[in-house]
Amino acid sequence: MPDNHLTEEALQFGEGGRLFGILTLPSVPISTSPGLPVFVFLTAGFTHRVGPHRLHVRLCRELVRLGFTSLRVDLTSMGDSPPRPGYTNQQSVAADFAEILAMLESRLGPSPLVLAGLCSGADNAITLAPNEPRVVGMVLLDPVCFPDSGLMGFRTRAMVAKYTRPASYISGLRYRFKTLNQPREKKREDDHFVDPLALRDPPTLELMQAAFESIRKRGGRVLSVFTGTAPQYNQVGQLGRVLAVDGYQQFCTELFWRRSDHTFTLEVHRRQLVEAIKTWAGDYIAPERAPTSDDLSERAASLPVLLTDTHQA
Amino acid sequence: MIEPFFFGPNNEQLFAIYHPPIGGSGQVLTVICPPLFIEYMRTQLALRELAISLAESGQHVLRFDYRGTGDSFGELSETAVSDWVDDIALAVREGRDLTGCNVVRLLGVRAGALLACRSAGASSDVERFVLWDPVPDGAAYLHGLRRMQAAIVDLHPPLSRAERRETLHEYAGHRLSERMLDQLRLLDASAYASVPKSKLHVVSTSSEVGFPVPGVATGVTPFACDWETNLADRMMAKPVLEQLRTCLTIT
Repeated sequence: MPDNHLTEEALQFGEGGRLFGILTLPSVPISTSPGLPVFVFLTAGFTHRVGPHRLHVRLCRELVRLGFTSLRVDLTSMGDSPPRPGYTNQQSVAADFAEILAMLESRLGPSPLVLAGLCSGADNAITLAPNEPRVVGMVLLDPVCFPDSGLMGFRTRAMVAKYTRPASYISGLRYRFKTLNQPREKKREDDHFVDPLALRDPPTLELMQAAFESIRKRGGRVLSVFTGTAPQYNQVGQLGRVLAVDGYQQFCTELFWRRSDHTFTLEVHRRQLVEAIKTWAGDYIAPERAPTSDDLSERAASLPVLLTDTHQA
Repeated sequence: MIEPFFFGPNNEQLFAIYHPPIGGSGQVLTVICPPLFIEYMRTQLALRELAISLAESGQHVLRFDYRGTGDSFGELSETAVSDWVDDIALAVREGRDLTGCNVVRLLGVRAGALLACRSAGASSDVERFVLWDPVPDGAAYLHGLRRMQAAIVDLHPPLSRAERRETLHEYAGHRLSERMLDQLRLLDASAYASVPKSKLHVVSTSSEVGFPVPGVATGVTPFACDWETNLADRMMAKPVLEQLRTCLTIT
């Protein structure tokens, strides 16, 4: 599908053409493109390849302006990719990834990869990264986190927030009550609503450490964005403390956007997320170091929108 | 097996998935006009299931995304109702060229129902319109989007003052162009009235919501779609899908 600056190809690939995805490429070769990683956007929950509120489409078409090729793909059982009968979720994701790698290699050659995903998409990126040397980056949106301990650890901060920011606390409780409780009740009443939580295979702390460690050893980078509705996360830097991976600050960027919701429902937040990811990705073109949270906040603040008050923690 | 493709003018191509009929030559083409925004995401799986089911019953089925939505090209902020009305006409034409079918049926879901009737209501090309919970008119739909926006903000973590100002311009989490808003306000129920009643079949999930044109065949299949209040759950409304399938296949 030609356009001024990009081409999109609808692809069916893998055994029997089971997997469906759309590849976004620059229309004409860009001088920065050779050697750049290919972004692979993994489906989140039961949202298909388009992403929540069309986020993946927008990211693919923005990243291509910088020279990046992207694939947005329906993992099996989602969107237009039928299930693999008899497979567990993890087996199915592993088989999907092998077929994604084979397709990308035949189409583009052995390119490095950045795996990107929200929620269960982030879970899958973390699960797949350690064993695939081509993965040199991850964009994790509301990935799993674990409470940090200590006097001012997660639970203490949650307690403090409860009394010092009651609006935020109550809002968080309402959000969790509505989004977690309501679907389950409905599911009990009838079987016609699909519970995305049933799909999650959250990685263990050890697996997360292995994933981050593997990216570090490959000289890659990780961007993690936590929202105000991420469970078990309430302070920027918490993931780094919990993981305790060598050199975390040098290759990881961790953002806490406490005023965003889990799927970036509001346009004002999606716009800022797209800019943050573009900025982070831009450093693959002019590599220096992983941009810090402050870097991304400064650049987001310079956007021509009203967010001079960035929602960076 | 599905056949995905892009079609239409080079700079504003639309994305479509064609489901060929299984086990037959297929005399009927059904074009699915999806709903918009959150409702599009919530029904994607269900409409895919319905398309597969219709193809298994021997129909050609075309699913597509309007300009500025889904995998189609264009930005929502630069799109208007007239573009979507044109897109439906283009999809019908594309489907007919692809399949050679002369018998075309349209399934319109929510706002997709209103758009489908506006696009093809006066045309003799479409033999039947099946409408799932059609929105009454554009103005009412816009009000509904604003109520959804209020629900989103209400459920949302606390926003800054600047963010709150920004959200005043959003409809269910999306920025719409002035052209879009103006055209939606003008899109009244005459779109439904332009379709001969004999061609209209309404499938409603609530007996409390009436269709704006009296005397149209309406089947009620109770199901809690909660279009304006449920902002997240994907639905697999099996009884509704079964009813839609019946309406689209019955001779």
